[in-house]
This record gives sequence, C-alpha cells and structure tokens, in this order.
Amino acid sequence: MSMLNGKMRSRAGTQGHPADPGETRAMEVKQNAQPGQDVLGNDHIQAEEFQVFYQQNLGSIYRYVYSKVGNREEAEDITSQIFMKAVHGIDSGRGTEAIQKWLFQVARTTIADYWRARYRLTTSSLEELLDAGWEGPAGAEPASYRSQPAERVQYLLSALPEHYRQVLTCRFLFNLSVKETALSMGLSEANVKVLQFRALKRAAEIDDIFEKTPSS
Amino acid sequence: MPGEEQEQEQERFEDYLALDRYLESLETGGTPRLPEMLTPVQARIYRMAALFRSASPEAAEPRPEFAAALQARLLQEQHLPQPAPSRPAPAPRRPGARKPALLSRRVLLAGGTAAAASFVAGVAADRVIEATTANPPAAGTNPTTWNGESLVPADVPSQWFFVTTMAELGNEAVSFAAGAVVGYVLRSSSASTISGSNWEGGSQANSASQERIIALSAACTHMGCIVQWQHADHKFHCPCHGGLFTANGEADAASSKLYLRPLPQLETKIDQGKVYVRVPTRS
Repeated sequence: MSMLNGKMRSRAGTQGHPADPGETRAMEVKQNAQPGQDVLGNDHIQAEEFQVFYQQNLGSIYRYVYSKVGNREEAEDITSQIFMKAVHGIDSGRGTEAIQKWLFQVARTTIADYWRARYRLTTSSLEELLDAGWEGPAGAEPASYRSQPAERVQYLLSALPEHYRQVLTCRFLFNLSVKETALSMGLSEANVKVLQFRALKRAAEIDDIFEKTPSS
Repeated sequence: MPGEEQEQEQERFEDYLALDRYLESLETGGTPRLPEMLTPVQARIYRMAALFRSASPEAAEPRPEFAAALQARLLQEQHLPQPAPSRPAPAPRRPGARKPALLSRRVLLAGGTAAAASFVAGVAADRVIEATTANPPAAGTNPTTWNGESLVPADVPSQWFFVTTMAELGNEAVSFAAGAVVGYVLRSSSASTISGSNWEGGSQANSASQERIIALSAACTHMGCIVQWQHADHKFHCPCHGGLFTANGEADAASSKLYLRPLPQLETKIDQGKVYVRVPTRS
C-alpha cells in the first residue's frame, strides 16, 4: 500500500520539480494512472489551485489594467487575456509572491501588446508613450505605489492645488460632466476643459517626481 | 494665471478639446479615442486621465457577470488537453472524451445547489448549449440517495468512473476529475446522519468497522469554488468565503459561512476492490 502526499507539479514539463514544503498538500495523488482513468486526475490539482489564484488576484489585476486604459471594456478584455495566458503559463512550484510578480509582468506586456495592435500608432509615438512611462520599462517590478492605483490617486489629489483638485474630483471621482462641473465650480465649460488638462498635467509632474524620489 | 502660460510646451486649444474628446469616449464606452500623435508630455497627461478614471466607484470592482464568465472560460481551458510537447505520452482517454460538457455541470449543480448554479451562469457564449435538461434531484427514485442530494439525476446518461482502489484508499480524501465533475472519494464512518448505507448492495459492514465509501462533489454549495481537503483537520475548506464541510460533506459548525447546504454526493460502487463513481457521460 503506497500512500503518496500530493505535490504541486509545475506545468511545461519540469516533472521533477519539488514543491515548497509550505505548499505540500495532503491530498493523495495517483502516480500510476491506470488504463481508463482520466489523466485529468493529475491536472485537477492545478485546476483548483488556479481557481483560488484567480479569485485572489482578479480584483487587483483588473484595477491595475483599468488604471492604465481608463475604461471598463478594455479593462475586461485585457484582464481576460492576462488570465488566459496565466492558466497555461503559471508555474505553481514557485511561491505566492513570485507568482504575483510574474502575473503583473504578464499584465504589463499584455497591455503594451494591446496598444500596439489596437491603436496602430506610428512607431515614434508609441515609443514616446512607452518611454513616458505609460507602461514602464520592461522587466521593472511594480513598486507598491505603482500597482495600487487607488493610493496613487489619493496621494496625487492631496498634493495638488485646490482648484486642480476640485476639477479632478468633480470630473473623475464624481463623474460629473463638463457642464455640471462648470456649474459646480462657477466656471465656463471652456474653462473646465483647460483646467482639467492642466490639473492632469500637474498630477503627472508630481507623479514623476514621486517615482524618482529614492525614498519612494 | 499668467505664469502657467509660459510652459515648456505650448498649449493649444486643440489639446484641451482632444483631451476632452478622449475623456468622453472613455465614459461612453467603445474604442477610446486616443490621438495618434502624442508628445511625451501629452502622453503622461493621458496616462493620468486613465489613472484618475480608475478612481471612480464604478471602476473599483470587476462586474460580477464578467468575473463569472471569465472563471467559466478558465475552467474550460483547464480541462482541455494541453498541446505541450514536454508532457509524457497521455494516458488512454475515454472514447469520446473531448470537450467537457460545462453545461452538464450546471445541470448537476442546479439539482441541489442553486447558489452554485449561479457560478456557472456566465457560460461563455461560444459554448454550444447541449440538449440536457436541468432536473431537480430525483429523490426517492434514486435508490442510493443520501440527504436527498443525489448529484446525478437518474435520467441523465451516466457511467461509472474509476477513481482508486480500496487498497490504496487510506484515510485521506482522494480527488478525481471526470470532465466537468470534480470531487473526492473517501472513507466515511456511518456515525453521521446519513442513512441508507448502500455499499456493495447492502448495509454490510466491513470487517474493521461500520464504514462506507462516499463520493462528494468538490463544488462548494455557496458559490461553486472548489473545496480543498485538509489533512490536518479532516475537513473540506473552501478558499473563497470560509466555507467548511465535515468529512461527510455536511456544513461544519465552525464554518464562517453559515447555512451551507451539504456537498452533494455521488453514487459509488466497489467492484473487485476498485472504487467507481457515477458521473454523467459526455455526449
């Protein structure tokens, strides 16, 4: 009678990959699949693990992608692509943190590919976009500041002058139209358009400074 | 604000309009209208716009329908044969074992667990809907019904699926995946409220103790997440919302998720020392 502890197997052929002790699962696994037994019996372990992984990471990946594309449709589209890649590419032998970093990396390259394909920008503009940190340098790990869009927004709002903060709050947090914002702030609609432009520009400058500051 | 006019980059009225058009397109949906030529400064401004858009309440969480639909797609994807060349020669598959019938999973789950059915409510639109019907559990007509929760109704075409042998079945739950059905097989003491012991055709105790082999669906009766057997406490843990089930599949009192229905059971049989589970046949 041979009892074997279930071990996490990584995909893509690294068959002898040992599991982290912390990830060993006390579930018995059939090592010798008998004829007629569904070979899915082995893959099933990763299926469960991946479903957990999906539930835990969907929210943060979705918010991260949304903060890059600014709209729900593209956020859903790209998030789907990211997880579909992850389903086959995930190396479950690694630790949770390493896997999450990997997932964010997949997110960044997926977003960059998406822009290349979708927008067909001229090469120079695309380079400028990427250069301007739209996607960040390839391989760079997202610092916590970068991967937590909500915190970034809060910080930037607090660092802006009052009139810039107000227009961004109206237009983005409250989702007011230009007309409603104008009424709320006692400005013309043209003024609002100028103000939101400059507010975002100032926010971008603050963001750059924050990122380049060594203490961040 | 005269000082602001003397920026490094000349602001044109067109810039303000283009930005607002972009914001408008983000709001209305569809393809966002991003200007083709952007200077680095402008690119940062547009990047900020996307970031600030994500701060609105509507952007905070993915839509539940989207999350469920993607989850269903991923499940399908996981059960498909992998083309990876580095795998060893695949074990012989059951004849006709092609794409798992995700819909039949919904049939099964709808039988006893309405909450779990909502989990697969977002079946991807490109799946062909099969002509299986969603039946309530055939309690009473199914001779081996426990807790009234027989997972596979009597009139759904089914087959016996081999899981493990009695010799190899120890004191831990053994998982199996038969197409869309994912579950566990384990020894169960008959000291629970389960009645109608039906092992090898009768309530025969084995020589060691009053014991049966049961098969449980691994789909948590809350929202359908796959529960995990924990060796340490001999219980099934749901990773999603704290659901907890005993080794007999009943809701555990210590569960942080209250009012859980028991994990549905599947029929088992022992034949020449081999443990089988009755699962729906894939058409």
